[in-house]
Amino acid sequence: MTATAERAPAPPKLSPLGWLRKRLFQNVGSAVLSVTLIVILLYVVYRSLVFVVINGQWEAISRNLTLFMVGTFPRDQVWRLAAQALMLGLAFGIGVGTASGTARDKAKQAGLAYEPPLLAGTLKRFWSLIAFVLVLLTLAGTAGPWLVVGGAVLVGYIGWHSWRLPPSMRTLGWLLTALLFLAGFQVVSGTEGLAWLPVALVLAAASRLLVPVERLETPLRQLVSLGAPLVAAGVVYGIYQVIAAPGVGWDDWSGMILTLWWSAIVIVLAFPTGLMLALARRSTLPALRYLATTYIELIRGVPLITLLFMGQFMLGFMLPAGTVFSSITRSIAAGTLFTAAYVAEIVRGGLQSLPPGQMEAGQALGMGIPAIMRRIVLPQALRAVIPAMVGQFISLFKDSSLLFIIGATEFLGVRDLVHAQADFRVSAHAETLVFVAVGYWAIAFSMSRESQRLERRLGVGET
Amino acid sequence: MNRSKLLVALAALTLVFAACTDDGGGDTTTTGVDGGGGAEEGGTLAAVQDRGELNCGVNDVLPGFGIVDEEGNYSGFDVDLCRAIAAAVLGDADAVNYVPVNVETRFTALQSGEIDVLSRNTTATATRDGQEGLTFVFTTFYDGQGIMVPASSGFTVFEDLQDANFCVLTGTTTELNLNAVFSDRGISFNPVGFEDSAELQQAYEAGQCEAWTSDRSQLASFKFSIEEAGGEAQFIMEEIMSKEPLGPAVLDGDSEWLQVVNWTIQNLVLAWEFGLTSENIGSYSGEESRVLNFIGDGGYDPGLGLATDVNVTVIEAVGNYQEIYERHIEPLGIPLAGSLNDLWTNGGLMYAQPY
Amino acid sequence: MVTTTTSKTHSRPPFWRDLRVLRVVGQFVAIILVGLVLWWLFTNLVDNLNRAGIRTDFGFLTQPTQFTVPYFNTFNARNPVWQMVLVGVKNTFLAGSVGIIIASVLGLVVGILRLSNNWLAARLATVFVEFFRNIPPLVVIVFFGSAVFTFGPLPILSEALELRLPGSSDTFLLLSNDRWGIPGFTSRGNVPAYLGILVVGLVISVLLWIWRTRVNLSTGEPHHRVLWSLGALLAFAGLGYLVLGGPFGVEWPSLSENRRLIVSGFAMNWGFMALTGALGLYTASHIAEIVRGSIQAVPKGQTEASSALALSAFQRYRFVVLPQALRIAVPPVINQYLNLVKNTSLGLAVAYAELTALTQTSIANGRPAVQSIVVMMAIYLAFSLTISLALNVVNRRLQLVTR
Repeated sequence: MTATAERAPAPPKLSPLGWLRKRLFQNVGSAVLSVTLIVILLYVVYRSLVFVVINGQWEAISRNLTLFMVGTFPRDQVWRLAAQALMLGLAFGIGVGTASGTARDKAKQAGLAYEPPLLAGTLKRFWSLIAFVLVLLTLAGTAGPWLVVGGAVLVGYIGWHSWRLPPSMRTLGWLLTALLFLAGFQVVSGTEGLAWLPVALVLAAASRLLVPVERLETPLRQLVSLGAPLVAAGVVYGIYQVIAAPGVGWDDWSGMILTLWWSAIVIVLAFPTGLMLALARRSTLPALRYLATTYIELIRGVPLITLLFMGQFMLGFMLPAGTVFSSITRSIAAGTLFTAAYVAEIVRGGLQSLPPGQMEAGQALGMGIPAIMRRIVLPQALRAVIPAMVGQFISLFKDSSLLFIIGATEFLGVRDLVHAQADFRVSAHAETLVFVAVGYWAIAFSMSRESQRLERRLGVGET
Repeated sequence: MNRSKLLVALAALTLVFAACTDDGGGDTTTTGVDGGGGAEEGGTLAAVQDRGELNCGVNDVLPGFGIVDEEGNYSGFDVDLCRAIAAAVLGDADAVNYVPVNVETRFTALQSGEIDVLSRNTTATATRDGQEGLTFVFTTFYDGQGIMVPASSGFTVFEDLQDANFCVLTGTTTELNLNAVFSDRGISFNPVGFEDSAELQQAYEAGQCEAWTSDRSQLASFKFSIEEAGGEAQFIMEEIMSKEPLGPAVLDGDSEWLQVVNWTIQNLVLAWEFGLTSENIGSYSGEESRVLNFIGDGGYDPGLGLATDVNVTVIEAVGNYQEIYERHIEPLGIPLAGSLNDLWTNGGLMYAQPY
Repeated sequence: MVTTTTSKTHSRPPFWRDLRVLRVVGQFVAIILVGLVLWWLFTNLVDNLNRAGIRTDFGFLTQPTQFTVPYFNTFNARNPVWQMVLVGVKNTFLAGSVGIIIASVLGLVVGILRLSNNWLAARLATVFVEFFRNIPPLVVIVFFGSAVFTFGPLPILSEALELRLPGSSDTFLLLSNDRWGIPGFTSRGNVPAYLGILVVGLVISVLLWIWRTRVNLSTGEPHHRVLWSLGALLAFAGLGYLVLGGPFGVEWPSLSENRRLIVSGFAMNWGFMALTGALGLYTASHIAEIVRGSIQAVPKGQTEASSALALSAFQRYRFVVLPQALRIAVPPVINQYLNLVKNTSLGLAVAYAELTALTQTSIANGRPAVQSIVVMMAIYLAFSLTISLALNVVNRRLQLVTR
């Protein structure tokens, strides 16, 4: 990133008039185009300003801001959401810090200098998200949201400094990120039922990676490598039985938090499923290949809304009588089925982009297929598909607006709740729609810029 | 080496099995929605009391019947019926888990056991009773379908609307009735179906449809809010297109639960008949034997599986039918006195069976 | 003495470690497992439906629909459900085709504009793309419906804007916020014969195209094949029209007496226009990105070589850049077309009666949900597979044959 090639001579600096001549009025066609566009632009800007500043009835938004953000979440439990914001801020900070730290390690290994990204640059990249959050905070009026957002940013900044940690602590960094993410989820949803399972899985995987198995003698090594994850899982299970605390389950989430969490949960659940599908699709066993291909082509041929309907109307009947799944759970299941097919295609693209020599080298070294997958193929392939996965998450985030067709109230659906209230039954329809559109746009735009930036950084695919 | 692997694997398996025996079952993070809801024979009353919360399917976008305020609290006529049932079964009118359902999901929610009772301005018809596997409880609101047009249009009868665009909400009996009535009279029309009232209202006010057809109570409430906000004057046509008896519904096959819900609702009307309100029921000092039985004096128990003083609890928490109506429906501009929903002694249709 | 080797050198490992056996057995087990799971789900479904008293057959398709389809006068509420499904299919097809056309044209234009020298055009194209790409399609559809039609500048139908061609009394265009009227075709008889003549003309023009291409390949003379085949087609069309004495005519749109219907010409309702316009814009933003990426992927040397040969910008795009860019762009654009057809399922938001909207309405009116959804999914699958298949053929024709 810091190597400079031979620089071409810089283009001559133009005076403002010269710039106009060259850029806007180079020839007749260009001049006509410019004039037309300027006229249209001025008109649109004028009307928008009038709408936003003068005519707009933004009271509908300011009074219902909590409704838009958290829907019908019980107001006396909102402290959980504040705690979640802080934990997620810390998780995000540590995650970004660990990723930066890994980049720094690599740079050191290659002998290059590493410069951590500047704060100003980061702010510029996320301008739409920051602007949207500031608008929300200004509309909120009370001090509470300011404190929570400020706290989350501060905590995230502290976590970001984890890039300074020594390289041996990288796995610990990722482990902390995953645990904080899960903790943020569970501080809202409670620790009852199957809540121990994801945490147990994460800790079991981490113990496998962290415990220095290589230093042990063989019989002990196998015992420890099998036993450590089990012990970790058992300990987690025990702890959760003790601290079984109820929370607000995802059936009661609505508004923006439902939109964000629905997308996050679906992508997390769809990733391993899609990965397995992709491996099955590339398998040499024809049965597996055909099964996987049929599934993927079937799912990619139908709209998401039909799958949501299927989840809504058919899933309940497909399970034995007596099992009750809430509407949100069914939509998550349907969304996971849908996204797994797309993730499978993305991962398959990543696997195909890997030179076959990698696999052959692994085989030449006498590694078995599972070992080759785990140590050589998957790390490279998955790193290559990160931008596409972010793109899929953005797509899911936008598709969550379909949830209101099956009766769940997410960010777009809160509009209907607002317009059923006595004060806003006949007014402010345009304002709420603009607010919802801007909300989606601000978040999706930031994420898509990040994904484009990641794509350039990782040097993935040109198109 | 192979043997030790096998031993470790066996030990692991036994550990895992031991860990998994005491599983809570059901779903991970839902707030206690356990199995055994409506899909099985009976047992809903016990399940609700076990759970400590009533799952009630309601509307969240219909003014007067079920809406959500800025704080996320549900209120409305149908919402108060849920509260009454919760007060009767659990002793606490606030122990309700409101599940917002729309026209497509309302019946499946009941069929799959996600909700225990559906209280969402649903019209009772034979088709729904039969095909959807539900049973409708006491009719709580007698309504009819009507047509609203802008007053300036001057239309007064259905024939004036030949070939016109009608705004309707899809998936309700509204569409079916519109078809039935207009086809029978040979009047052609164009129904423009919307999914939610907000868009429908915008289309109506913009003139994309000339007429709006829906239950007259809904038309009255929108007429009120449109005129209140300074919009054009509206006119609801005299002729009533259909009967729309609205009431709660439960799933087939659980007569104990059906009776509990049915009588809880009817007792709201009975309390009104007896003149008992949320204020005076606690301090009733009269000697009428029927009223004394009603408030459970002397341990009178009709054997429904509820407490003897259940009516006192319910009426104190929620009020009688008149109070509920006046709280939610009268502000919409639909007075109780003289309407179909008045007490039978005043010429209306509210006639509760004796206790 | 030759020691006979026993079969030890070719001994097979025990069958539980023999890879060939394991592969076959593994596949069988996988298929059986999947089959068992599907069968379990299916029997549960049928059992639970029976227990709830809901029908499990497809007989509902022959029952009357009981509601009418908006903006479609000839559909009676007594028509069976399968006819309603056909109406849905037709509407989805219409919205999909028009949407694809709008998206392709607009996407191509905006994609090329993004690379324009004109700073303003390039920036505005970027704003357009970044704006529409990051909003959910449902929001775009609702926005379009409200902004253009519900709150837009158009009058109500009874006071529709009647645009006339200068100097004639026929209305060329009827504009309102509910329906638009455009000129349509009426048949005056002999239409099948005319269509037959057109088919013959089409066949002849294809043959001419092939012939001229062959002439060009063998002798090198310019083929002018577009002129030849298009000319032949137009000649057949014109002659056929004259010979048959005008089999069809143009019909101008007009309002009915009660000013509530458009009785002649071709009427488009606002749901259709909002849906196709919104999806056209939304998909165009994606296609513009793809076009831009594929144009930028063409090696720079091509552009420089065409400048060295003094080709104009138009010639450069037409003969050098776009043919190469198209090759790269076709697979992702196929994907976007598929997405557009799938996104038409949001039609209920603007009261457009396409397949999903009609299915939703019929389910809410008591038709069995499971069967209706299966029918709907099968139809969407058919649409998607047809589009993928057709365009994969195109893709394969465009691919470079690698040596």
